[in-house]
Amino acid sequence: MPDPVVRPGSEEEWEALMHQLRQQPKVQPRPFFYARVRARLTTPRPWLPGWGRVPAYLALLGLLMLAVSGDDALLPPAAAAGHYPSQAPQFLPH
Amino acid sequence: MALSLPLLSRFAPPASGDGATLAEAELVTQLQQGSEAAFRTLVARYQDRVYTTAFALLRSAEEAEDVAQEVFVEIYQTVGRFRGEAALSTWLYRLAASRALQHQRRLNAKKRFAYFTSLLGFNNQVLHEPPDHAHPLAILEGEQQLCLLLAHIGRLPGQQQVAFTLRHEQDLSYEEIAAVLDTTVSAVESLLFRARQTLRRHLQPPTSHA
Repeated sequence: MPDPVVRPGSEEEWEALMHQLRQQPKVQPRPFFYARVRARLTTPRPWLPGWGRVPAYLALLGLLMLAVSGDDALLPPAAAAGHYPSQAPQFLPH
Repeated sequence: MALSLPLLSRFAPPASGDGATLAEAELVTQLQQGSEAAFRTLVARYQDRVYTTAFALLRSAEEAEDVAQEVFVEIYQTVGRFRGEAALSTWLYRLAASRALQHQRRLNAKKRFAYFTSLLGFNNQVLHEPPDHAHPLAILEGEQQLCLLLAHIGRLPGQQQVAFTLRHEQDLSYEEIAAVLDTTVSAVESLLFRARQTLRRHLQPPTSHA
């Protein structure tokens, strides 16, 4: 079955296609565009990015921060782990 | 691709020296003084050009509206730094093209992320692309070709896409495109040549038919 679509193999066909591209219906913004721009100017910008406003991602970020920076708070202090408690010698036989 | 956005272009558009240019300089001065009326004039004068540029790169009325608003907000907030060595229209085209491409990249990233999260079952979004109900045989031949062309324009590298769009949809001269892209006329010629080659290759029929 022959291809029904005329493809721009020749220069004329290409030029016709470019002409068609230029002749597309003109698009315009919807009415009252200026009012919407003004509204956007006066609306305060959110201080968090879009993903930061999703609670699950925020919680995930919090956990990540905790895992990265809070390791010494979760583990016993190194000094205490390496020594007996200060009261221990009292219970040792003399 | 990231378009650089220096406010001072090495390429000023052909200086006409007519009233429009003078009016533009006056408009910029008033904008820098914070005039509300000047901003309203700016928006009224350039909204169609900014919107059609964004629309040509994004092919979505909603996204084009969003980008056009973003461009005017940015102009309002940064006009104090505009020194007038490039035409105001050049600056606007440059911002519109740059922000539209940024927007496109964000949309693509969002699509990929949505696909990924849907695979993990975080939401109930569909995994497949929405079906295109337009059957090829139901569309007129010319329209089909145009749709194909527009789809392939959208897949060109950023600079080629901007150059091709500004040339063939906005009817800008090579000098004006060079000013918008902050490059030379020969670089624009090269971009357009490569874009045209790519598009023609994709739109050409297969060479051999059994």
